[in-house]
Order: sequence, then structure tokens, then C-alpha cells
Amino acid sequence: MPPAWPATLAEARPGSRAPSVRLPGARQAALGVARQRLVIGLLAFCALILLLGARLVELAVAAPPAARAHAAAAPARADIIDRNGVVLATSYRAMALGVRPHDVIGDREALALAIHAILPRRPLEAIRAALHHDAPFTFIARRVMPDEAEALRALGQPALVLEREPERLYPHGALAAHLLGFTGIDGEGAMGVERAFEERLTDPRRSSEPLVLSIDARVQQVLESELARQKERQSAEAAAGVVMDAETGEVLALASLPAFDANAPGGLAGLPSHMNRITLGVYELGSTLKPLTVAMGMEAGTIRSLAETYPTSGLRVGRHSIRDLHPKGRPLTVPEVLIFSSNVGTAKMAEALGAERQRMFLRRLGLLDPVPIEILEKGRTLHPSEASWGLASLLTIGFGHGIAVTPLHLASAYATLVNGGVHHPATILRRPAGRAVPGERVFSEEVSAAARAMLRVAVTEGTGRRADAPGYRVGGKTGTAEKPRPGGGYDRGRNITTFAGAFPMDAPRYVVVVMLDDPRGDPEAGGGRTAGATIAPAFRNVVLRIAPVLGVRPDPAREPDLSMIAGLYQERRR
Amino acid sequence: MGDLLRLGRADRSFLARWFWTVDRPLLFLLLALMGFGLIAVAAASPAAALRLSDAATRIPPLFFLERQLLWAALGLALMLAVSMLEKRAARTLALAGALLALVALAAVPFIGTDVNGATRWIQLPGFQLQPVELLKPLFVVLSAWLLAARFDDPSLPVIPLSAGLLALVVGLLALQPDFGQAALLMAVWLAMAALAGLPLLLVFGGLGLGLVGLALAYVTSPHVARRIDGFLHGEGDTYQVDRALDCFRAGGLFGTGPGDGTAKFRLPEAHTDYVFAVIGEEFGAIAAFALALLYLVIILRVVLQLVEEDDPFTLLAGAGLALQFGAQAFINMSVNLALAPSKGMTLPFVSHGGSSYLATALGMGLLLAFTRRNRHVQASPYLRAQPA
Repeated sequence: MPPAWPATLAEARPGSRAPSVRLPGARQAALGVARQRLVIGLLAFCALILLLGARLVELAVAAPPAARAHAAAAPARADIIDRNGVVLATSYRAMALGVRPHDVIGDREALALAIHAILPRRPLEAIRAALHHDAPFTFIARRVMPDEAEALRALGQPALVLEREPERLYPHGALAAHLLGFTGIDGEGAMGVERAFEERLTDPRRSSEPLVLSIDARVQQVLESELARQKERQSAEAAAGVVMDAETGEVLALASLPAFDANAPGGLAGLPSHMNRITLGVYELGSTLKPLTVAMGMEAGTIRSLAETYPTSGLRVGRHSIRDLHPKGRPLTVPEVLIFSSNVGTAKMAEALGAERQRMFLRRLGLLDPVPIEILEKGRTLHPSEASWGLASLLTIGFGHGIAVTPLHLASAYATLVNGGVHHPATILRRPAGRAVPGERVFSEEVSAAARAMLRVAVTEGTGRRADAPGYRVGGKTGTAEKPRPGGGYDRGRNITTFAGAFPMDAPRYVVVVMLDDPRGDPEAGGGRTAGATIAPAFRNVVLRIAPVLGVRPDPAREPDLSMIAGLYQERRR
Repeated sequence: MGDLLRLGRADRSFLARWFWTVDRPLLFLLLALMGFGLIAVAAASPAAALRLSDAATRIPPLFFLERQLLWAALGLALMLAVSMLEKRAARTLALAGALLALVALAAVPFIGTDVNGATRWIQLPGFQLQPVELLKPLFVVLSAWLLAARFDDPSLPVIPLSAGLLALVVGLLALQPDFGQAALLMAVWLAMAALAGLPLLLVFGGLGLGLVGLALAYVTSPHVARRIDGFLHGEGDTYQVDRALDCFRAGGLFGTGPGDGTAKFRLPEAHTDYVFAVIGEEFGAIAAFALALLYLVIILRVVLQLVEEDDPFTLLAGAGLALQFGAQAFINMSVNLALAPSKGMTLPFVSHGGSSYLATALGMGLLLAFTRRNRHVQASPYLRAQPA
């Protein structure tokens, strides 16, 4: 037993005999205070514990069941659907195969081979590396399908872990890949709609409400397949196309080839296959701009009559000389300038128009600014600065050179040209029925009607004959431009060929722009490398296949009103 | 207990006297808590083992449970042995121990081992000793012994004296640095001083001083600032507590069932600081609340017994030990539930760890020893007429 210490310091005080100085009343009073405060402290502790209980209930009950099951998982992402409700992108819970390398029982090599047999797309070397990885846990493969997961479970290896994780699925694979974009490894949008609408798609309050695009999956599919076919036939480097509703500005289809599978995007965004040639690529689109120059002249009054004639002899501006590809050797009427795609004629029209008004029209058509579409991959148009917009620029821009825009710019401008003259900014979101994107008038109804007639004869009589889809009253214009060489200047052997048009020309609803980058010619079709030979057939095939889907009836008896240009051109002998 | 239950009231043997005088409901509650703690560590052990394994050292899934069984056995033996001491002997030993622990604490900066930028441990053969864990219950006894003098002679300057001791301990802790334990000790001391009659004005002044100290730590220590910023703004390193919240959310009211938890594998310290989150996931919010209530009932039992106590030292020491126990549990659970900034504080008798387990056992043993008395004699003036 240790020596007894004084019970309190008071007892230990020298000279004090505790009982003699102790006042029981004082001690009891002090004890009373202590007891009172003790009970108050106890009540405070009760309150704190109840607070913990409240917090526990809040955490356990307030979280929605989905969040409870996968609290650490990324937030759900809303679906993306086309205008008719076809699912273009959706989220589901995939399986991911992981391993706890330290827990592997048995031969790692045999295990690696067994996993590789179930997941052949995963390189054996990567599986082997994961099994020998020095960490408590590592992933072997993401996006494991249910049957594969079952087979992996059947291996009976306790070190293998199958985890569910949210995954983005693009049910149509590469369909509209550039427009939809894809999601990165952590589920964040990396391109296209997925990137531009990241906030909207991940908003938890709207995750059950799909994002509705203006795209029509059927039209998109046709556009992609016809472009792919033509690209192959012409051994072209790339192809692109866009279908737009001329009345509303809605984009119905947007294709760029080569494409990628959004389910396995791979690589970095700098690959040629990840280039959105419709919104990001800018091209000198050549003769397809000529109808715009004609309409500008008519709107500005510098072309007073469609019967006015324009010379076709060569034109020199400084050190440039402007010539026609197939000189007619006689003055041409306005419709003939388009039918024969006369550079000299449109240059003369531009000269009459003047740089000031040319710039004004181009700006109102949206051709000087990045295209106003929702996705973020947008190219800056290339054009001379105001100071250097001299005579040479004025004339060359008149026939489509010296200015580079995206194919979507061109589609938007053509929609303005044929829909009665109102420019609606392009959109990829479905508009409520009958409510176009608010537009701005650029051309008068009369100018638009004349442009429709001339675009129609440019197809029937001019360079766009192979674009004519029987019965669908196609109108449009070819464009063949030499590709710029990387070092400067132009490459005579390599073209960008374009066809921009609309149908049905008597009441235009749809604008289609298709483009080939460096077609090498199809020996079976004569080997020509002009737009009329290389891309016009693709336009026809697209129209033939999408018109029935879009509810446009073929009618060989109908034609747009051509009275205003009657007698101004010579009809081709049929 | 079978033998003990056969002890007669008239039996004057050592064990019999212990059995009839010890606070048996409290002992039973503590044993229940220890049992609960073993189940919790069993659930948390695989997650912690997986986390701490690497290619060189493979930790078996139930390694921490096996270790905890050892600590629980040692802790139980220590607690029972201490509880069998006579009150005076227990106090004497505690006071002597307090001095030893103070010396050990002072020695830490010189002979301690550095872990994560803080020097808190002394490496003993096969065992890391954290002196502050041992000091905590002993410091409470020391303070109670000093402060109890006021009850008989309020003129004695025991409050400044013990405050000086507190300042010494806090200063030593700031050297390590270990602000969490320092804050806990200051809070416990302030509560005991309040019980000993420190004027309420000074009590609140002390609270204010604590806030000033916190602000000072925030300004001077980037570590403290990071923790507090993370808590207030939800930015910085909230990874740990976010994973803990995932556990509670995954568990719901009824839990995933033992062994079925998955969120626990993402916890950084499943077996020590975040064992409460493991309970939340596998056994559910109701069981987690039941554990919180068990701590409350233990405190309730101690306080209700102390109200009947006539000895100032017993009252102060008992209240201090219970508060230290309860406050530590509350802080740990609050951190798990993201109600307080992240703080290295274990859950008494539940978290894995030798130092804290044995220290808790020592503290509870002392509490049991101090509260031993004849349960048939009521001391409280509230329950019987005061002698004239």
C-alpha cells in the first residue's frame, strides 16, 4: 500500500488541523455549485449527442437511393436525343475490372492469359503489367460488358474486383461523332455538344430530362454514308456535309469524315479524325459564293436587270489575271454567268457593287464572324482586313476566292438566299414547331425568288447537272477551289470541291452543302476532279434518300417559277 | 464473473469488497463499449489492411483485429487492476504517474520519432508510446487534486497553480505540435475549474482565450490553417471527410451489413480516426447513433453517481475523466460527420491503437477506483435531509 497522501492540500497545510477550520456550510455550498454546473454540462452533452443523431439521420435518409449506392461516383449525365427522340448519347452503369495485385493467388501469367482470352481488346502486356503493379489496387479494363464480367467472375480469382461505374454510351457509334463529341475518362465532356453543354448535362435537377438536338438521325446517317461512299470513290482525303432547315436555321445533319467512334475516341483531339470540318475547318469555297455576289448586286441595285450582259474576256488587276475556266467568247446574261460559272462576270458584278457594300452583305450573312452555333469548335473566317480590302480582294471575293469560311457558313448563307432573304443563325438545338431562330432580312423576296430560279437552272443547264435528283427540283451551285499550299500559293493539282444547294426549289425547305477535300478522280466516271464530277453526285444521292424521310414528294411535273429568267439563257438540248 | 456473482455481502475478501463497492452498471457499460469496439475494428480491419499493404509487406485482412484483441485484453486487465486500488492508493499512483508522464512529454522533442511532420511518439521495443495519451487521465487527477483544495479553503491559490501546470503541458504540446490534444486538455481543465467554483465570467473569458489561441494557431501554423479552411469552405483537402460521408450515405439507416461495405475501402484511416464511418456504412445510422448514445449513457451514469458524491476530489476527478472520455468521443464522431474540422482524435475503446486504448483503460480504471463506495449510503444533500 502506498503512503497515504493528504486528501486535499488544505489538510496538508502546515499548522492547520483540518476539522478545526473546516466550515461544513461553505464546503456544502461549493459542492452545490459543482453539482449544479455538473448537471448543466450533462445537459449540454445530451444536446451535442442529439445533434450527432440528427446529422446521422440527415446523411442516411436525405441522400437519394442512387447517390447512396454510388456516393463516390460521378454525377449522372443527361441523355442526348435527336429531334425525333432517337437516343444519341446515354449513360449507364458499366463494369470496370480492377485487381488487388497483392492478393493474387496462383500463377499471374496464367491469370493474365485467362483475362486476355475474355477481354481480347485489352493488350496482354497491359494486363500483365496491372497484375504485377505494386499498389493495393489498379484497374485492368474499363467498360467491361455483362457477359465478360460473368466470365471474369467465373475465374474465381479473389484478387479481381468488378466495380460498377458510370459510362457514356453512344448507341450509334460514330454517328454524328463530331457534333456529339465524347466524354473523357473522368466523364467530362471533351468535344462537341458534350463539351459545350457540360453544365446543362450534369445539372442534377435536369439529369432525367434529355437534351433535344435539331439533328435527325436518319438524315445524319444518309449524309454520312453517301459522303463516305463518295470519299472512297474519289480517293479523297476528307469529306464533309451539312443539312440545314432553310426556314429555321436548325441543323438536321452534320458530318465530317474521317470520323471516330465516340465510344472509343482514343488519341488526342488533334487527330485528323477529330477535326470538325463543318464548323472548325475554313475553306475557300470558290464558285459556290457566286450566287451570293449576284444577289448582292440585285439587292444593291448595281444589277438593274437580269438581261444585263457581262464580258468574258480576261481581266487584269495588278499582277493577277482573272480568266474563265471555259471562256464562252461572248457576253453572258446574269443567269448565264451562273450557268457557266464565269469568274470574269462575277468579278465585274463585284466591281460594280463596291467593297463597302460587299463587306456589309458578307457581314449580314455572317461570313465575316465565327459561325454562331452552340458547340465550341468554331473556326475564325479568313478575309482581308478593311484596310487591305482593295480592288483585287473585291473582285476575287466576288467569285469566291480570298475569303475562307466554314461549310456551315455557306449553308447558312444559302438558306438566306433561298428562304425569301432572311438570315437565321444556325442552331443544333430543336426549335419549337414553327418558331425559327429570330432572323434578320438580308435580301428581298424578289431577289430570293430570282436566286432560286437561277440556282435551279445552274443545275439543269450548268455545271451542277449531276446533282439533279429527278422530281425534287434541286437548285444549287458547284465550287472548285485549288487547295492552298502549306508554304503559300495554290496547289493546281489538289482541289476542294463543294456543292451547295437546296430543294425543293419551288418552296425551299432544306439546304445541303457537301464537300470533298482533294478528290483524286474516279477513273470509272471519267476521272474529272471538278465539283460537278466529284461531289455533285453525292448531293443527288443524299437528296434522293433524305427527301422521302423529310416528307418532300417527288413531282417531275413541278418546277420553280422560271418566268423572270425566261429567254435569258439557252436551254441545253436533251 | 461467475465466481464474483457468488460473493456474499458479508464476504470481506479483497474481491468481494471490490465487487460490492465498484460501480457495476458503469463497468457493464464499459464492457459493452469494448465489445462494440472489437466488432467495429473487425469491420474496419480489412479496409485498413488493404490500404496499408504493399508488395513488400502483405497485411492480413484481420491483422488489426488480432492486434486490437491483444490491446483489449491488456486494457481490460489494466482497467480492472486499477479499479481494484483503494481510492487513496489510486490517487497517489496517479499523481506519481502524472509527474512521470510530464517528464516523458518533455522528452519527446529530443527522443521522439517524427511522423507526418509531428513528433509525438517515443519508440519503445515493439510499441510506440504517445506520452500525451497517458498524461491526459493523469493530468485530470492532478488537476482535480489541486482544485479540490478550494472546497475547504477558497483562499488557496490552487486555480492559478493548476493553470500554470496546464500552461506547461500546453506549451510542451505546442512544441510537437499537437494542438488538438492541447485544446482537449484546456477544455477539460476549464470545465473542472468551473466545477471548482471558478467565476463564470472567468470561465467565459477562458473560452474567449481559447478562441484567441485558435486564431493564433490558424495564423502561425499552415497545417492548422489548412484543416480549418478545408472545413469552413469545403475546399482544399476534404478528401478524407468526403470519403467518410460517402460511408454514411452508403450505409443508410440499416447499413449494408457486416463485411458488405465498399465505401470503407476508400477511407484513409478506417481502423483509427474514421472507424465511426465504417460503423455507419456496415451497421447503419441507427447503430451509429446507438454507439453515440452508449457514450452518453456512460457519461450520464458517471454524472448521476457524482451528484451523490460528498468528496470534492472524487467529484472533480470523476467529472474530468468522464468529460475527457466523452469529449474525445464527441470530437471524433463530429469529425467523421463533417461537423468539425479534421482532427487526429481516436474514438475511445473503439479505435485501433495501443497507446490510446491503454490510456483510456487507465482513465476508466481510475474513474472506477475513485467512485468505489458503499452503494447503500446516500451522500447527496438532495436525497436526504442535511445534518443540522
